[in-house]
Amino acid sequence: MALSCMRCPAAAGAASARRAAAQPLATAAAVSFARCGGFGRSAAAAAACWRIHAVAPQGAKAPMDADVKHVVTPPTSPKVENGSPSEITLDDFEDLSALCKNDDSTVSITVVGASGDLAKKKIFPALFALYYEDCLPKHFTIFGYARSKMTDAELRNMVSKTLTCRIDKRENCSEKMEEFLKRCFYHSGQYDSEEHFLDLDKKLKQHEGFRVSNRLFYLSIPPNIFLDVVKCASKSASSVNGWTRVIVEKPFGRDSESSAALTRGLKQYLVEDQIFRIDHYLGKELVENLSVLRFSNLVFEPLWSRQYIRNVQLIFSEDFGTEGRGGYFDGYGIIRDIMQNHLLQILALFAMETPVSLEAEDIRNEKVKVLRSMKPLQLEDVVIGQYKSHTKGGTTYPGYTDDKTVPKDSVTPTFAAAGLFINNARWDGVPFLMKAGKALHTKRAEIRVQFRHVPGNLYKGSFGTDLDRATNELVIRVQPDEAIYLKINNKIPGLGMRLDRSNLNLHYAARYSKEIPDAYERLLLDAIEGERRLFIRSDELDAAWSLFTPLLKELEEKRIAPELYPYGSRGPVGAHYLAAKYNVRWGDLSAEHYKA
Amino acid sequence: MAATAALSFHPPAFSVSAHPREAAAATTRQPLHHCSPLRIVVPRTRRTRLLRARSSNGRPQISASFGTSNEVLDGMPTGDGAQGHQGGSTVSITVVGASGDLAKKKIFPALFALFYEDCLPEHFTVFGYARSKMSDEELRNMISTTLTCRIDKRENCGDKMEQFLKRCFYQSGQYNSEEGFAELDRKLKEKEAGRLPNRLFYLSIPPNIFVDVVRSASRTASSSSGWTRFIVEKPFGRDSESSGELTRSLKKYLAEEQIFRIDHYLGKELVENLSVLRFSNLVFEPLWSRNYIRNVQLIFSEDFGTEGRGGYFDNYGIIRDIMQNHLVQILALFAMETPVSLDAEDIRNEKVKVLRSMRQLKLEDVVVGQYKGHSKGGRSYPGYADDPTVPKGSVTPTFAAAALFIDNARWDGVPFLVKAGKALHTRRAEIRVQFRRVPGNLYRRNIGTDLDKATNELVLRVQPDEAIYLKINNKVPGLGMRLDRSNLNLLYSERYRREIPDAYERLLLDAMEGERRLFIRSDELDAAWAIFTPVLRELEDKKVAPELYPYGSRGPVGAHYLAANYNVRWGDITSDDSAF
Repeated sequence: MALSCMRCPAAAGAASARRAAAQPLATAAAVSFARCGGFGRSAAAAAACWRIHAVAPQGAKAPMDADVKHVVTPPTSPKVENGSPSEITLDDFEDLSALCKNDDSTVSITVVGASGDLAKKKIFPALFALYYEDCLPKHFTIFGYARSKMTDAELRNMVSKTLTCRIDKRENCSEKMEEFLKRCFYHSGQYDSEEHFLDLDKKLKQHEGFRVSNRLFYLSIPPNIFLDVVKCASKSASSVNGWTRVIVEKPFGRDSESSAALTRGLKQYLVEDQIFRIDHYLGKELVENLSVLRFSNLVFEPLWSRQYIRNVQLIFSEDFGTEGRGGYFDGYGIIRDIMQNHLLQILALFAMETPVSLEAEDIRNEKVKVLRSMKPLQLEDVVIGQYKSHTKGGTTYPGYTDDKTVPKDSVTPTFAAAGLFINNARWDGVPFLMKAGKALHTKRAEIRVQFRHVPGNLYKGSFGTDLDRATNELVIRVQPDEAIYLKINNKIPGLGMRLDRSNLNLHYAARYSKEIPDAYERLLLDAIEGERRLFIRSDELDAAWSLFTPLLKELEEKRIAPELYPYGSRGPVGAHYLAAKYNVRWGDLSAEHYKA
Repeated sequence: MAATAALSFHPPAFSVSAHPREAAAATTRQPLHHCSPLRIVVPRTRRTRLLRARSSNGRPQISASFGTSNEVLDGMPTGDGAQGHQGGSTVSITVVGASGDLAKKKIFPALFALFYEDCLPEHFTVFGYARSKMSDEELRNMISTTLTCRIDKRENCGDKMEQFLKRCFYQSGQYNSEEGFAELDRKLKEKEAGRLPNRLFYLSIPPNIFVDVVRSASRTASSSSGWTRFIVEKPFGRDSESSGELTRSLKKYLAEEQIFRIDHYLGKELVENLSVLRFSNLVFEPLWSRNYIRNVQLIFSEDFGTEGRGGYFDNYGIIRDIMQNHLVQILALFAMETPVSLDAEDIRNEKVKVLRSMRQLKLEDVVVGQYKGHSKGGRSYPGYADDPTVPKGSVTPTFAAAALFIDNARWDGVPFLVKAGKALHTRRAEIRVQFRRVPGNLYRRNIGTDLDKATNELVLRVQPDEAIYLKINNKVPGLGMRLDRSNLNLLYSERYRREIPDAYERLLLDAMEGERRLFIRSDELDAAWAIFTPVLRELEDKKVAPELYPYGSRGPVGAHYLAANYNVRWGDITSDDSAF
């Protein structure tokens, strides 16, 4: 049973379990996989049934055709295979799912740039984890595509080195690995060659047989060849009867113009629905949980506005530098690399109004509204920094410009802090402070929500003069050690009346002993299922760029020198002065901060 | 008003305590003591204002409830009085009923703990008073068997005990004998040795002799120039009339502010913390009303019965013993409006308002139960009626559940369910706040049909294992979207390693300091009785038979039906309740 990847509401999951129990084991996994797609008005539901529709003319399932046709609108364009017919409701799906036979379809996942680092470290392991958890469809094929010559066996060898089983799921691990590797193949070819993709298409067809073929291309390649690959793959390796989807990794351009050009380029060959812009931060467990916290608890939503929230802080730090791989980074800098995408996406999720439903388009509509309500960043709202070398305990850590791949006179920021504002009714005047940096003292990603002080606090005498220092704070720590905690004031036990800030906390590792899946697993599965909630729509991307583009231009035109900070430090002090401007204190750098 | 008294227990500042201005000056010099009665640190300007606002005899400015007999002044002595006692001041604590159980188990140990923590004034004397003949040495022997040091403070424990016992004395005498107390007065004067004498009487005696002792003690053993205070334990009567009668009798001899009605539940750490949580955090107060709170549950359970000591209990029953006082007091603290300040009178004013807004309890809103014998694992546990000290046909409830309502703007329609019982499966005291469901919940499909089963809940566990936790919905980590109720929690024993002081320590210290916040004022008591008296009377008149429940069980099922009437589920008896 594929209940471990149960993405369906509990009731539907139970239904699936019941149905599976009544069926031969072979179909059980397939059925429950289909149910995995039953989240919301699922595109996977549509896809699964569309497959049937597509096969129907061949006569195999003719009797069902009529049943399906009145709910599924056949695509009008050959590119819209994966359209999500909005008429399908969950109830319709309940009826249809029994009819859908997943034996009829297959998914081929092609990792373009298979020899790259990301592919080895993240994509193949994530695919294996999904396979281990029975979350992949019964029939699937994985292809690596790259320029280097390699045999299938060599690819398998390379991939096998990075596969691991979860700590709590070691049963049959090596068997599973072997089975998985048998489904992995390699095809060598140029990225701009239609013939080479045509060869791939032939190989894919071999593996797909007569099943409905769905194809997912994961572009794990440098941005300058995005368009070439998309052109060739879509022209010569698109699925003829199933869906074809393309996952694209950042960077999505360098600014509004280049991003828009990229989008236009992609849209020459793909429709919006086929483009899956991945932001792996959105696949993190606690980012997913953010909406659950807000919308399934009564106690948070009443507080979620300017009336109670004083400021919000989005903090990202890495404890290592570019380490000899600064070539790519230097062309972008931390603002493009982290802030404009990861942090801004989290901000939008945090601040959005309640969506009509949990469906991808409803959520993305709300996120776009937030982004469009934001004020473009001004130079004075930003502090940038760059790390310099630092010697500690006999070890010398190199500065950013010591990196051989970085130009000596680079002013690319490796650290940035910014104050953003959302000019809408809910958030007017509340500073959203962002901070991102490399080579800092700690590795951390977190959201900190600082509440206002208690009006007319009866205990103000116990707090000293600065009432803002004893306010409540909600912290959502995305990594490491996922945790949620709420700082509250309470009385220190004892005869006196001394107050203390303690944490009401939920430490994930303590409560949930199972390993938390990697963000890539979730996102790959979502892409296979056509669940777009966690992917970035073109208009979101435009809105995000328009906030940062003027600032980025100004920084570059004026060649503004970053404030230097030592490798392994807490970053430039300028960040404190920036915060002070908005009457904020960084929650992560206070003296009283301790590990919850 | 705690401010001045506070200083007097800080040894170096002791002698200046009498003079407000000097006292204030002393404050600026002295660092705060750890048990400093300046427990609520009032900003300096405000403190001074408070001190100046005192009347000459230092009594608080309460408009009502001044007794007519003012010979014995409570509060700080006048400036003149203080100057007559250059040797400083002293406190004499007389435990009336010294041979009783409470005295041995709670009062003497609490006094010792205060002594160990340096919370008692430099000069103090402890007297035991009872009818039995005993020497000082015998009393010390008796006490010493129950004294203990805290686990984390064992240093010099033996020395400290010895020093403490040296200050303990005994006086035997009849409870209604003025001579007996006159004799005590002489001995007290000896020990006080010319210092400004303050006297605290702790009445650890049966209620029928309260008034006798108060009369005798107040007439012959009151302090001549310092304060004289009386701590009185429950029961404070059996109903509105008898309670009113007791108060009138006490007030013949004492002024309102000399009477310290103790409710030891109010001295519990988490009950103290309740106000801190509400009023020093922004995140709770916006939720604290009928808009967000669906119901509130106050739960008290003991895992033992009367165990051969049911004689007293049978006269009162669980409603009088637990509900009308402990639970209603906590309820009032929970539900009160924000007081003007943390001063005792401001808080008590708000509590009275809550109590007076409460609907009188009706018979149909109450379920009563009584435990019966039960055999489990080869052992049999006796029923209540098997207790030889309990009359055979007794219908006294050992369990009660009730639904209370506060008819004010904040709480209209919100059921406050209270439940108390003996001989249940667990020992527990807690407050559970169940919030409403999320309107238009986006995740309703993940929750199933009963949206009320996945609401937020705030739990303050008073005992055992003090804890605060907030049940929230969150996502189970993993690829799916399954929701889970987990706890945002604060377990005291993990965060605060030190032992939590016993409620009696706090209350004794408060009484010495004249801090009345945790003591029950006469009008509060009247209002509390007014809620329960009619139903108590009806129960007794009709001899309503309690629902029997087995010893060690979860109590009568009737409690569930009562809750169901108000669309509530008891939060402590659910299948998904984790250990927290």
